[in-house]
Amino acid sequence: MTNEIALYIHVPFCRSRCNYCSFVSFAGREADIPAYVNALEKELTERVKGENLSSIFLGGGTPSLLSSDQLSRILTTTQKLFNMSKTVEVTLEANPGTVDEPYLTAVRQLGVNRLSLGVQSMDNETLMLLGRTHSTAQASQAVQFARNSGFTNLSLDLMYGIPGQSLATWQDILKKAVQFEPEHLSLYPLSLEDDVPLNSAIRRGETPPIDPDQTAEQYETAEDYLASEDYVHYEISNWAREGFQCRHNMVYWQCLPYLGVGVAAHSYIDGHRQANTHYLDEYIRMFQPGALCHPETDEEIKPETQLAEAIIMGLRLNCGIEFADFKDRFGVDLTSRYGQEIEELTQLGLIETSDQSIRLTRRGRLLGNEVFWRFLPECEDS
Amino acid sequence: MDQSLTRNFCIIAHIDHGKSTLADRLIEMTGGMRGDDIREQVLDSMDLERERGITIKAKAIRLGYEAVDGSIYRLNLIDTPGHVDFSYEVSRTLAACEGAVLVIDATQGIQAQTLAHIYVAMERDLEIIPVLNKIDLPGAEPDRVLDEIESVLGYDPQTVVSISAKTGEGVPELVEAIVRCVPAPKGDVQLPLRALIFDSHYDPYKGVMAYIRVVDGHIFKGSNLRLMAQKTEFEVLDTGCFIPEPSSLNQLLAGDVGYIATGLKSIGDCQVGDTVTTASKGAKQVLEGYRPAKPMVFAGIYPTEPGEYDGLRSATEKLSLNDASFSYEPESSPLLGFGFRCGFLGLLHLDIVRERLEREFALSLIVTAPSVRYMITKTSGQTVIVTNPTDLPMPTVIEKLEEPWVSISVVTPSKFIGPLMELVMENEGIYKHTEYLGQQSLGELGQRVKLEYDMPLRSILTTFYDQVKSRSQGYASLDYELQGYRESRLVKLDIMVNELLVDAFSRVVTPNKAHDVGKAMVNKLKEVIPRQLFKIPIQAAIGSKIVARADIPAKRKDVLAKCYGGDVTRKRKLLEKQKEGKKKMKQIGSVEVPKEAFMDVVKLSS
Repeated sequence: MTNEIALYIHVPFCRSRCNYCSFVSFAGREADIPAYVNALEKELTERVKGENLSSIFLGGGTPSLLSSDQLSRILTTTQKLFNMSKTVEVTLEANPGTVDEPYLTAVRQLGVNRLSLGVQSMDNETLMLLGRTHSTAQASQAVQFARNSGFTNLSLDLMYGIPGQSLATWQDILKKAVQFEPEHLSLYPLSLEDDVPLNSAIRRGETPPIDPDQTAEQYETAEDYLASEDYVHYEISNWAREGFQCRHNMVYWQCLPYLGVGVAAHSYIDGHRQANTHYLDEYIRMFQPGALCHPETDEEIKPETQLAEAIIMGLRLNCGIEFADFKDRFGVDLTSRYGQEIEELTQLGLIETSDQSIRLTRRGRLLGNEVFWRFLPECEDS
Repeated sequence: MDQSLTRNFCIIAHIDHGKSTLADRLIEMTGGMRGDDIREQVLDSMDLERERGITIKAKAIRLGYEAVDGSIYRLNLIDTPGHVDFSYEVSRTLAACEGAVLVIDATQGIQAQTLAHIYVAMERDLEIIPVLNKIDLPGAEPDRVLDEIESVLGYDPQTVVSISAKTGEGVPELVEAIVRCVPAPKGDVQLPLRALIFDSHYDPYKGVMAYIRVVDGHIFKGSNLRLMAQKTEFEVLDTGCFIPEPSSLNQLLAGDVGYIATGLKSIGDCQVGDTVTTASKGAKQVLEGYRPAKPMVFAGIYPTEPGEYDGLRSATEKLSLNDASFSYEPESSPLLGFGFRCGFLGLLHLDIVRERLEREFALSLIVTAPSVRYMITKTSGQTVIVTNPTDLPMPTVIEKLEEPWVSISVVTPSKFIGPLMELVMENEGIYKHTEYLGQQSLGELGQRVKLEYDMPLRSILTTFYDQVKSRSQGYASLDYELQGYRESRLVKLDIMVNELLVDAFSRVVTPNKAHDVGKAMVNKLKEVIPRQLFKIPIQAAIGSKIVARADIPAKRKDVLAKCYGGDVTRKRKLLEKQKEGKKKMKQIGSVEVPKEAFMDVVKLSS
């Protein structure tokens, strides 16, 4: 387990931008994919030093816009550069409208063993509102293709808290998704940055605003329903069949090291968080053979901030934080260091502690920020 | 220098009619300062004055001017404040002058304070020189405004000096008019000293600097002087005038305007309006002073953090050194802790003081709802004065309650009479008089009129001034004057947040408005207090009777839903912001109330 690292590869291309999206993604730039793949290979070559690889996650954007050949080049490069076992988890994010069976079969054969489908909704009206380019029919097809291609670890993304969406509609969507029997489910409430089209529509009064109480209601409904369908709620927004937790994402929540390559990708290595440029052209230029390449920012995470981040990320997991583990890793006894915070939060009904561990309560999962900020160190610059 | 060559004058004008710009031009023209030295609006020395375009403290400047007749004149320009809250300061300035330049904006015409100021000037027998300013602006209507000046003020348009203070056009003619029309001072330098203190400020090195007008006799540096009313004695550490920077002189003679450094430690020891004479063989008869400015509006000022109390105390002390019309005394509130009950001339004055405390002393403050001074006779026969709504006795023990009334005058185009009349009536005003100004109509806006009403001062404390502006599309102007006390029937409206009475929100209202005001207040609080981890009832009550209620439901969701490797730093920063935000909240029991909520509720109209 020593010296293990996870690898994230960002693929920022999309056919069109969704109405809620504020991620680093580019529509109509597919012509730059070959150059981008070259840049990725260059970046990998520069930055990988033969570490033991624990997982690969191709996220986006829409990674399924890469051809199987392009994917093959990237995976071959990683295989060459890392020390990598056969059991490594390799996830590909895919838009249901971009995949067919031959593609998924090819991808599966390249060693991708986990597919994450951005289904988002099982209601066509909602998909339209969100600006998704696929339909619910395409989503069912994509699930079918995935199964036929041999994917036995399938994850679906769904969104709730959609303006105007009733509890009944959401329950129906959940039910349809569960009928696909995915091994893993990620549920996200719609959250909008200021400048996205859907937010403008809300401001203009064309779309009703997000109702935070309805969103909370939908979340709790999902918790109850998925529990009854034998899904384990293992992180605030994630559910899985026993043994199918996403190993890659666990690295983030446990604050373990990872390397992120591609435009706007972040890395966390040796207590440093680094980020690449979020300009596509600049990234491609920077990671040309012979060019001098380096992450755009490099932030040293101070020990007390590392501690806070470990708590904030760790509490996201339903198993919470084991006191003994924490002490082993950081040399800090949580109960004595944060006695006051823990007591207050327990009284507020947001966390619960046992002899071994501390975790969010059901109420605390919906009010996580009220828990998290209390563990932050005092800001020096304010 | 011969008194006959001295001219003491001031400039009076409605706010924004160009008084400060004219002062700058005069200083520039007479060589007081040149070109680059002249910062715009020299007389407004506080930052706040510049930013708000209002002159708060009066200042005096001596200008040397060679007139067309070949003589060199000494012009003492005494600046006056231009906002309704500070009208009493205008009257103290006028007492030091023989003449006044009345500036009227050619784009706006006569406004409420134009009238208020000119009446005071006439009472004091000043020679008034009417001036039409801003004639360079495209929107200027000189003919209409001249007609107004003739019909309302009775000045022949031929005698009105037309100028542009901005470009300097007409200003030379104005200075000649000042020399020609303003009478020279008529004091006697041989008589025992009598000098009027018309303003003062505190200087950490020289003590109180008194701005004086010498009426009779003379003052030397080193003279031993006495304040006739207060009987304080002191030695003159320095004397001189402003040109515009302070410049020491050997002496000030009858007719002169200048300053004396008194070495006194507080402006309370050296009150404006007092007469200065020599410590021995002094004058017998004091000069006619004027009533000291009395605070009319009161509010509690508290530090957001209890730990800042000492800082607030020393800041209010320092501020009051330079502002005789600002009063303060310690008070405490069960929720806000220790603070001060402060008195102000009006709402603008309150705002300026609050801003100066926060800006110049880096304090974070909570200001409670402003109140007037109530005089209460209890059934026991005891009389009490209440300036804090919380202290209002129970209705059952009140025999008689009296509150201050003001007469207000509003100058407006006739088109807005209806909406303004309605506004005044909503605020318990009583109509008195309408007077048409001039003969010419402003097109579809109609003719200009002056409306007069009586109103409780309480009614103009919140949004009245803003409402006058908005209901007249910005055309109407307002002036008010304290009139006296009248009996009223009033009750105290309390606000409870999560069952806790928040004294800072208490206000005094008429019983028939309690429900509406209460409802507006609880709804506003519901809007400005963020949802918290539990339900918060907000209630408005008179005594134990709840008149309005709104509940803030418990917050159900507040969580970063998506948190992966890409953005840990960004998410952490969002949480840091959330944490910092908590610090800016005022804790009321277990409820966190944003500081702004206090101001938002205060600003609700009653």
